Amino acid sequence: MNRALHGLLLRRFALRHWRAAPRQTALLVAVLALGIAVYFSIRLANRAAVASFRNFAELLAEESDWIVSAPAGLLPESVLSEIRGALGDRAVDLVPVLESTAALPRAAGGDDAIGARATFHLLGVDLVGVQNAAARRGGGRAWFGQTNATAAGTARGFWDVFRDPRAVFVPARLALREGLRVGGELRLLVNERVVALNVAGIIPSAPGQPAPPDTLLVMDLPALQSLTGRHGRIDRVEVRVEAGPGRDALRAETRDILARTGGDRWLVGSPGDRRAAGEVMTRAFRLNLTILSLIALLVGLYLVFQALDGAVVRRREEIGILRSLGVEERAIRAAWWAEAAALGLAGGVLGSLLGWAGAQFSVRFVGRTVNALYYATSAQSAALSLPELLGAVGLSVSAALVAGWLPAREAARTPPAQILSRHAVHEPGRGPWSRAWFGAALAGTGILLAFAPPLRFDGGLRVPAAGYAAALLWILGGGVLTGGALAGIARLLAPLGKRSAPWRLALAALRRPSGRHRLAAAGLLCAIAMTAGMAILVASFDRTMRGWIERTFQADLYLASDGAQSASAQNRIDPSTWRAIAADPAVADWNVLQVADVTVSGMRTLLVGAELGFTRRHTPLAWRDAPGDDGVFDPARNAGSAFVSEAFTERFRMRRGDAIDVPTPTGKRRLRIAGVFSDYGNERGSIVVERRHFAEWFGDELGSSLVLFLKPGHADEAVRADLARRYPGLRVLTNAHLRREVLRIFSQTFAITYALELIGVVVAVAGLGLTLASVLLERRGDLTTLRALGMARGEMARAAAAEGAVVALAGTAGGLGVSAALGWLLIHVINRQTFGWTLQYGFPAAGLAALAGLVVATGTTVAYGVGRWGAALPADREE
Amino acid sequence: MNTMNRLRHIAAAAWLATGMACAADPTRTADGFAIPQPGRAFEFPRDHGSHPDFKIEWWYVTGHLESEGGRRFGFQATFFRNAGPVPNPAAPTNAFGHAPIHLAHVALLDTKTGRFFHQSRINRAGWDADAARDTLAVRNGNWSLRLADARSGRMELSGNIAGDASFRLALAPTKPLVVFGTNGVSRKGADPAAASHYLTFPRLEARGTVVVGTEPTAVTGLAWMDHEIGSSQLDAGQAGWDWACIQLDDGRDLMAYRMRRSDGTTDAHSTLAWIARDGGVRHFGPSEFGWEARGHWTSPATGARYPNHVRVRAPGVDGAPAAEFFLSPLAEAQELTDPLGGVAYWEGACRVLDASGKPVGRAYLELAGYVGGLAERFK
Repeated sequence: MNRALHGLLLRRFALRHWRAAPRQTALLVAVLALGIAVYFSIRLANRAAVASFRNFAELLAEESDWIVSAPAGLLPESVLSEIRGALGDRAVDLVPVLESTAALPRAAGGDDAIGARATFHLLGVDLVGVQNAAARRGGGRAWFGQTNATAAGTARGFWDVFRDPRAVFVPARLALREGLRVGGELRLLVNERVVALNVAGIIPSAPGQPAPPDTLLVMDLPALQSLTGRHGRIDRVEVRVEAGPGRDALRAETRDILARTGGDRWLVGSPGDRRAAGEVMTRAFRLNLTILSLIALLVGLYLVFQALDGAVVRRREEIGILRSLGVEERAIRAAWWAEAAALGLAGGVLGSLLGWAGAQFSVRFVGRTVNALYYATSAQSAALSLPELLGAVGLSVSAALVAGWLPAREAARTPPAQILSRHAVHEPGRGPWSRAWFGAALAGTGILLAFAPPLRFDGGLRVPAAGYAAALLWILGGGVLTGGALAGIARLLAPLGKRSAPWRLALAALRRPSGRHRLAAAGLLCAIAMTAGMAILVASFDRTMRGWIERTFQADLYLASDGAQSASAQNRIDPSTWRAIAADPAVADWNVLQVADVTVSGMRTLLVGAELGFTRRHTPLAWRDAPGDDGVFDPARNAGSAFVSEAFTERFRMRRGDAIDVPTPTGKRRLRIAGVFSDYGNERGSIVVERRHFAEWFGDELGSSLVLFLKPGHADEAVRADLARRYPGLRVLTNAHLRREVLRIFSQTFAITYALELIGVVVAVAGLGLTLASVLLERRGDLTTLRALGMARGEMARAAAAEGAVVALAGTAGGLGVSAALGWLLIHVINRQTFGWTLQYGFPAAGLAALAGLVVATGTTVAYGVGRWGAALPADREE
Repeated sequence: MNTMNRLRHIAAAAWLATGMACAADPTRTADGFAIPQPGRAFEFPRDHGSHPDFKIEWWYVTGHLESEGGRRFGFQATFFRNAGPVPNPAAPTNAFGHAPIHLAHVALLDTKTGRFFHQSRINRAGWDADAARDTLAVRNGNWSLRLADARSGRMELSGNIAGDASFRLALAPTKPLVVFGTNGVSRKGADPAAASHYLTFPRLEARGTVVVGTEPTAVTGLAWMDHEIGSSQLDAGQAGWDWACIQLDDGRDLMAYRMRRSDGTTDAHSTLAWIARDGGVRHFGPSEFGWEARGHWTSPATGARYPNHVRVRAPGVDGAPAAEFFLSPLAEAQELTDPLGGVAYWEGACRVLDASGKPVGRAYLELAGYVGGLAERFK
C-alpha cells in the first residue's frame, strides 16, 4: 500500500464527505474544540497562578543553590554568622531575605471586599550585599543616585538609602501608574498601619531576568525588619556557590555542611523545592479543576464516536467497493484513523486558540481562589505555553483516535463488495455495551472502588484515584443501563402512540433503539450526572459551611490588618494596637490569634496561637472529637496540648491522643492532640495551641486577627465605626459582614466549577441534536416513504421531537440518579480524601429540577429543529 | 597610604566637608570621628584590630609567591572598613542603619598563564563582614585575615576570586612592625585631619597553597602588610597616588608614595621611607627622592593610561650611596576594575632592577586616580 493511495483514500473518503456536510463537520470540530478549549484554558490559568508563586529575590541576584529556612516562623539573623563560620573560607555567598506583604491603603469609596486590592510583596534584601551579585553580572545595576527624568526628583545616594529606614524601591510600572517619583512618598498599609515610605528609586531591571512584577517592593533588609516589627529575624538565607571548576563538589559539600550545622533548627532546600511548594499547596485544587475541565471533552467523545460510527454506516457501500478493488483492511483502517486524527487536530488547534482566549478570563477566577485559599498571586494574564499547547492538541488527537477506534475497526471489517441495506447489520455499542448485566457490573465494580483508600504522595498530596475510577465506572455503567432502558420507556409510553402518529413513529424507533440512541442518552447522562453531582457537592459544602459559620462566628467584631488581602498575607497587628483595643471599655471578651507556618514531618502546616479558654467560653470550635479533659483549657497546664483541624488528621494520619513534634524557633515541642475540630478554611490543616506559649516560643506577639465580644449596650456597628476611624489600617468587620464575606469568597471559589459543568451540558444537548440528525440521515429512506404516504413536515418534526424528548428524559433521569451517587462519592470519598473535610449531604432539589427541565426542553426543541431539517431531506442525497 | 584613594571615593563628599571643619575640636572631625594624634601608645594585639572611633580603616596584604617548580604568583588582599558619613552630627550613630560598610578586594596574578584574577566585595558590618576590636580578625564574606598566634605574630589569610582561583596563606613576620610618620602620625596633606596611623609589617614569610581552577600548588614567598587608621586623610586638590613597596634581596625595604596634585605637581607630603634590616625607619620628603614614569600601559577596559614602569631614585642611608631602582611589572594587565562603583586602579607585582639591569628585589606598585568620573554614586 503506497502513500499515494493513502492520500487518495483520505481525499475521496473523508474530505468529500466533509465537503458534502460542512455544517455537521463543523459542529463536530466545534464540539471537540470546545472540550479542548475548556481543558486548555484551565491548564493555562493553573500554570499562571502557580508561576506567580516565585522567588522574587532571584530577580535581584542569581538563582541560589540552596535555601536555608526556618522549620517554624522566622530565622534569627544570627544564623548568618553561624553559617559563615561553618562554611569557613569556602567560596559561597549568603543572601539573607525577609519577605512581608502590604497593600495600598483603601481609597475613599473603594471596594471593601477582602481580596479586592492587590497584595504587594515587600522584599527585604541586604542592599549592600546585593551589590555583589549585581557586580558579578557586570555591574550596571544602578540602585543609587537615581533621579527622575520627568519630575524634579531628589537623588538618593548610597548612604542616603542605607540610613533612611523608610527608603523603598518600586517597579517602574507602579511608579508610572501611581505617579511616584524619586524622593516622593508611597503610602502603604504595613501590618495594621498606614506608613509613608520614601521612594528611593526604581527597582533596576537586570538583563536576562523578567521584569519585576508590579506588586514587588524592595527595601533594605534592616529597614523592613524594623518596619514590620520583625527585629533581628529573617525568612531565609539564600546560599549561592561561586561559579568555577570545582563548583559541583563544593555545592554538594555546602549542602552537607548546612544540613549538619543546622540539625533540626533549619531546613535546607533547593530553589526548586521552594517553587514546588507553591505547586504542592495548590496541587489538589488544580488537579480537581483539571479533571472537571475534562468533562466537556469526555461528553464530546461520545459525539465523535457517534459521528464516525454513523459515517461508517453511511459509507459502507463505498468501503465494500474499495475492498473488492483490493484495498486491504489495514488501509481502510488507516484511512479512518487519519480522518479521526484530522478531526482531532482541527479541534485541538481551534480549541487551543479558544482556550487561550478563555484562559485570560479563567485566570482571574483561578487566581482569586488561589489568592483566597493559598497565597497571594499576581496572575492577571495567562501566557501561551508550548508544552501545554502540544499537550492539548495531542489530547485532542488521541481523544479523537480513541473515539474513532471502534468505527475504524468496524469499517475495516466490511466484506468486499457487500451489498447491504444501510441499517441492516451495523449497530454501534453492541456486544456487552448493550447489555444490562454489563452496566450493572461496571457500576458494581465502581462501588467496590469507592471504598479504596487514596494514593499518597510527597508533601501530603492524596489523590483519590480509585474514587475517580469509581465515578467513571458509574457514569459508563449508568449510560449502559439507561440505553437499555429506552425500549422499556417506549413500551411504557405506548398509550401515547395510540392517539398520535408522531408519537407512534417516535416510539417505534425507540422500541428498537439504535446504538446511536443509547449513546446520546449515555452522553447526556454523563454531563448531567457530573453537573448535578457537582451541584450536590457545592450544596453540601454550602450547607456545611453555613452550619460551621453559624457555630464558629459568634463574636461581635472581627479585626485584621486591612493589608491582609490574601491567605498568605504577612500583615500583622502590633501588640500595642491589639492590647489597646482589647482594653477598650466596650469590650467584654476577646481573643487574639497568632499564626506561623511550620513544617511537620516534611509538610507545611499552620500553627495558631489563641487563648484556648476562650474556645470553651464561646465554643467557636465545632468539635469532631472533643477534648475529654478540662486541663487543656488551663494555660498553666496546657503547654503540651494542641487542638488540630480535621484536615490535619487526614493529612498527617493522626488522631486524638497522638503526639506531634512541632518545631519552634526555641526548639521542638511535643504536643499531644487533645481535640479535633472542623475547619473549612485551610486544607493544609492547622494546630491550635495556647497563645501565651506560642508567644514565648516564637518571641513575638504580632497578632494575625482579633476577635471581640462587646458588653451589652454597645452596638456592634457603632463600635466598628469607632475602631475603623481610630485605626484606619485595620479591617473591622461586624459578625454579619464577616459571614457575608466568608460565603462570598466560598461561592467565588465555586464559580468556575459551575462554568465548566454548564459547558459540559451544552455539549451534551448539542450532541443530542447531532445524534438525531445522524439517526434521521440513516433513516432517510423511511422518511421519503413517510413523506410519500402524506405525512406533513410538521408531524415528522414532532416525531423527532418526541424521540428526542424521550432520549433526553432518559439521559436526564439516569444522570440525576447517577449524580446522587456521585454526590455521595464526591463528599465522602473524593473531597474527604483530597482535602480532609467532612461535609453534610445537601441536595439542591430545586436547582436540579430546573436543570433537568431545561435540558429536556432544550433537547426536545433541538430535536424538533433537526426533525424539520430531516423531513426536508432529499431521498438520495449523500449525507 | 596605598589604598586610601579608593576610600576617598567611597566617602569623598563627607571627607571634603568634614576635613575642613574640624577647628572646634582638634582631636575630632566635625562628624565626631577621631583624628590621629601624635604620641599614641600602640598596644598589640589590640591595635591590630578595628578602631571604630575612626571613620576608615584598612588592612592590606600583597606579596610574591613561588612554587617549588618555579611558578610565580602575585597576590593582593585588602579589607576596608568605612563608617560612612553621619547625616546628622547632632544626633548620631546608634540611629537606624549606621553599621559600617566593609569593602574588600582580592587579586591573584598567575605568571605561568599571565592570567590576572580579581574580585571586589561589599558587605555590611555584622551581616557578612566583621572586624574584631581586640585583635586582628577581619572578614568579608569568606575572605578573612586573622592573627593566629599573638606571640609570633603569625597571621592567616584566605581569599578567592569567584570559583576561579583561591589562596590560603600563613604569614609570619621576619622584621618587626614599623610605624610610619612622625610620632605615630603619617600626614597626607596640609589639613591636620588628613593623617593616619600607619602600621606595617614590611617582611612576612608566606607559606601556603594557591589553587587555580581545581589544581592546588604549594607556595612560599614574601609578603607586605599595611594597616592604616584614620578619619579624614585627603586634601582637596589631590588627584591621585603612586605608591610602591620594595623588598630588596639584601634585606632592606623601601616604601614610597608620590601624591599627585590636580595641577600635575607632586604634593609636599609625598614620602619615601627606608626600612633597615633591623626595622629602623628613615623618612625623606619629596625633594629628596625621585619618581619617574618609564613606560605606560593603557587599559582596554577603562582606557586609563597607567605609568606602570617606574624609576625610583632613593637617597643613600647609613653610609650607603643613593640608588636607582627600576620597577618592571610581571604582567602589564594588573588593573582592578571595581564593578561595585568604586574606582579602577592598577595594583601589580613588579620585579625590581638596579641601574645595571640586575634583579635586586620585588615590589608591589599601586597607581590610583587615573580613571576619571569619581564614584559619585557611592557618595
